[in-house]
Amino acid sequence: MMNRPQVSSSTLTVGPSLNGFEKKVEIAGFSLYYGKFKALGNVSMTIPANKITAIIGPSGCGKSTLLRAINQMNRLVLNVHTEGQVILDGEDIYAPGADVVDIRRRVGMVFQRPNPFPKSIYENVAYGPRLYGVNRRFELDQIVERSLRQAALWDEVKDKLSHSGMALSGGQQQRLCIARALAVEPEVILMDEPASALDPVATLKIEELMQSLKELYTIIIVTHNMQQAARVSDYTAFMMIDNPQTRTGVLVEYGPTTQIFTQPKNRQTEDYVTGRFG
Amino acid sequence: MNPALSLSEVHSTHAAGNRIKYSRLHYQRRKYTNWIMLSLTGLLTLLALIPLFWIVGYVIYKGGQYINLSFFTKMPLPLGMSGGGVLHAIEGTLILTLLSALFAIPPGVLAAFYAAYKPNTPLGIVVRFGTDVLAGVPSIVIGLFIYALIVKVQHHYSALAGGVALAILMLPTIIRTTEEMLKLVPQTLREASLALGSPEWKTAISVILPAASNGVVTGVLLGIARASGETAPLLFTALGNENYEIGRIVNSGVSAHQNVFTVLGKIFNQPVDSLPLTLWKYAQQPYPERINQAWAAALVLMLLVLVVNILARIWMQIRTSRMQGR
Repeated sequence: MMNRPQVSSSTLTVGPSLNGFEKKVEIAGFSLYYGKFKALGNVSMTIPANKITAIIGPSGCGKSTLLRAINQMNRLVLNVHTEGQVILDGEDIYAPGADVVDIRRRVGMVFQRPNPFPKSIYENVAYGPRLYGVNRRFELDQIVERSLRQAALWDEVKDKLSHSGMALSGGQQQRLCIARALAVEPEVILMDEPASALDPVATLKIEELMQSLKELYTIIIVTHNMQQAARVSDYTAFMMIDNPQTRTGVLVEYGPTTQIFTQPKNRQTEDYVTGRFG
Repeated sequence: MNPALSLSEVHSTHAAGNRIKYSRLHYQRRKYTNWIMLSLTGLLTLLALIPLFWIVGYVIYKGGQYINLSFFTKMPLPLGMSGGGVLHAIEGTLILTLLSALFAIPPGVLAAFYAAYKPNTPLGIVVRFGTDVLAGVPSIVIGLFIYALIVKVQHHYSALAGGVALAILMLPTIIRTTEEMLKLVPQTLREASLALGSPEWKTAISVILPAASNGVVTGVLLGIARASGETAPLLFTALGNENYEIGRIVNSGVSAHQNVFTVLGKIFNQPVDSLPLTLWKYAQQPYPERINQAWAAALVLMLLVLVVNILARIWMQIRTSRMQGR
């Protein structure tokens, strides 16, 4: 907690005014409680559009919780309540009356383990568009092809679209899940350790894919793998628990990835990225 | 091992061969213990399997002699005459099973969804506790309850009352199995659907239920297998009816120009027999033909449950392999 003033000053360096980037998501004084347990404490950060922002930090520091707060996946857990704001394109998604379904369409998510539905490859991708009322076959065909191409999976599966999505390899399944998320044309894509269950080759493919996707989407990724964060991201946020008793996750430092990894302003960040703990 | 021994002393003890002597003795004892325990488990397993094979074998032996095509296709003949079949009971069993499945599956599956996804809410706790209690209620009590609730009100026995009684019997099995199967569906699958903006109900129907369908079908079939073998609740509800023949009801309805609902009413709203009920009645009668037919009915009942089980397994096998893309 003693580092808080520093943190907020480093947060300001990533503001849109300084770098000239359009801001996509703004998290402002955001705290999250599971019952009485405060899992996130007063997190503030601005996430720029069409960039890859990585959230790193030791286990249990609230990285995933913060990520899931951006499309309200935390609503699935009982007794969650929040303070502060998560602003998506100028609208607070935690404001009363905000439409969860619309937020989740605009903010897609890719999970840690590939989780294709037990349906065909085609139906996996078409599931989202169908939800939003696209039912004509040729439209769906177009969306499915476009999404699979964007996810760099089309060439591998174009002849077996009716096969089960579960029959693909782990890396292909994960790209199928990315295609499924892309099919509803989100603006932001949240990735919760998308490559941690994959082998190095499949991981590389996912990372290359992320680079091509950031042209069109804003990507926020949680990762345990610091090399991955350094390789793929433009901005990096480092989170930690404030102290071992309360175990509240706080944002320690946030800035351009090169700065976080080469000249961190905070001592804890330096210790973490140089591998002295965590 | 003596803790006072230093590491080098341990090595020298080994070298002297002391430990090898000791361990061989120990090893022999372990080997014999293992052999004895293995024989014991094998023997008791065989013992446990004896009733199964004995029952199946004896029913096939006794019933197989009296089973023929007309047993399935003919109505019963008057007492004392040999020949005739149990078509009325087979049709009655099908009607009762159909009705009970119709009454039990929708509320059972929905209650399972509730119990699986809201386990710690008051209603969720009530569902789970209530299901356990219901599973322990003797089937004859359920029959009596339906007698008071439906038969007394309608002033006659009916397939409808029997179907409701059997549905109540099936409910706990369906709810419990379905709930367990729904819990096995990975949470991430549900999250994946919700993260696309799908509402809960749509996620439940189009993602979770298909993913759990094998288990749900198993639960339903277990319920049906249990219900189709029940006799006690039918004594007060379906009663039995040796003149029940769907073909004849339909034909007479058509020739009398009755509308569909009248005919359906006649099918579902009059007393019917079922295989276990027929078995129970025939086995008590002092006519050798009827006793023999009771054995044959037992065989048919057993085969019916077996066939349902086998078909379900084949169907599940196909579905599972298709889902996993093998």
